[in-house]
Amino acid sequence: MSSVRSFEAGDVDAVADLFQRLLRKTAEPANDDLKTYLRTLFIDFPAAEPDLRSRVHVRTDGSVSGFLGVLPVEMEFEGRRLKAANCGTFACDDREEDPFAGARLLRDVLAGPQDLSFTETSNDVSTDMWRSMRATVLGPHSLEWLRMIKPASFALKAAAGRLSALRLFNPLARAADAILCRRGEKQNWSHYIPLAGKADAFVDEAVSDAEFADLCRQFVRHFPLRPAWDTPVLETMLGHATRKALHGERIQHVVKTRTGKAVGLYLYYGNPGDIGRTVQIMAAPGQEAIVIDRLMRDAHARGLVAIRGRTQPTLLQAMIGKKCAFLHTSSTIVHSRDPALLDAMANGRVFLNGLAGEGWTRLIGDRFG
Amino acid sequence: MSDETKAAIRTFIVENFLFGDDSHPLPADLSLIDNDLIDSTGILELVGFLEERFGVQVADADIVPTNLDTIERIAGFIARKQAA
Repeated sequence: MSSVRSFEAGDVDAVADLFQRLLRKTAEPANDDLKTYLRTLFIDFPAAEPDLRSRVHVRTDGSVSGFLGVLPVEMEFEGRRLKAANCGTFACDDREEDPFAGARLLRDVLAGPQDLSFTETSNDVSTDMWRSMRATVLGPHSLEWLRMIKPASFALKAAAGRLSALRLFNPLARAADAILCRRGEKQNWSHYIPLAGKADAFVDEAVSDAEFADLCRQFVRHFPLRPAWDTPVLETMLGHATRKALHGERIQHVVKTRTGKAVGLYLYYGNPGDIGRTVQIMAAPGQEAIVIDRLMRDAHARGLVAIRGRTQPTLLQAMIGKKCAFLHTSSTIVHSRDPALLDAMANGRVFLNGLAGEGWTRLIGDRFG
Repeated sequence: MSDETKAAIRTFIVENFLFGDDSHPLPADLSLIDNDLIDSTGILELVGFLEERFGVQVADADIVPTNLDTIERIAGFIARKQAA
């Protein structure tokens, strides 16, 4: 009979194959780099806990047909230490043959010893499954924000994803942007130009992983329900986030006052001419708008055509008026049997997404091999 | 297994997977999987209903087509659980 059990080193090849076929949607066989990474992330990760493991669904013949990746996260709420299951990579084969495999995996994980479970990358099918388990979709965490910087180049870039020959029109798009972006002195949703404002009183500069980790720990403190990151774990996570070959150069900055006081930070990836991908924005309370402005200025100065990222309630609030577009691509969902935790999560008092999610892993945005 | 159990399961399926359309014949031996009436999402809803309505605990290993693919099998599964 088929079963669900913990993910073990011997399952790595099969899970890597599922990842390639079902999530990366490629016929190329999984390479050693991907296999090693899956082992590093889901088996050897420093925060690993023996009773909170990734799970596999195994057919009657012993072969693996499904995987749900779980990363244990230590969190805290009102002085209590909590265990959380950060559930990400979710892939099941044989939907025709065994349509219950995904359901069994999710049910098994959610029945674990953790105080709460969450995912930030749930597609529509997974979202329905989570909902069936009485989980809660966090709307303000589930939107993708997008700030267009150069409209013609952005449109071309978006279309060239499907038809690469369109890249031949890049010079034309640049010329169109030069004309469009000269118009007016007000911000417009169609393009971005840095205007004089409060953000001028701040500077941003590159920081090491160690300093960035310290600042993350500092800025996360004002969220009542938050990850209780210890420095080695956070630095390990930032080490994973060093490279995202598919998303471009890593920009890891702190935003400071001119006197040197840190008010926020941001981490994004992007090359000139590309759409930047933001993994994390954090700020001291009330300084979110400044940090967002500094991020957009930096993206503009580097020649990105647009910048995007995932919302959090405080960021969403600060983005109003900044001419961002919002769309839904995947959902942040939480599950807990504790009403106080559910209340905190449903009412914007939790820090989730990005570093408290999957965004820092190489599984999102990196190339293997 | 009682007709009452089968009727309750049938009502749940009609309401939740057939959107209230009770003109569907839905014989007790109809495969819910083969007829695309139930999938990974639906099975979680069904299991939640069975646990709540019949006061049984459904273990992970119980969630297999042998137990849950037809109204007849579901009713038999509930009867075995209640007798255990």
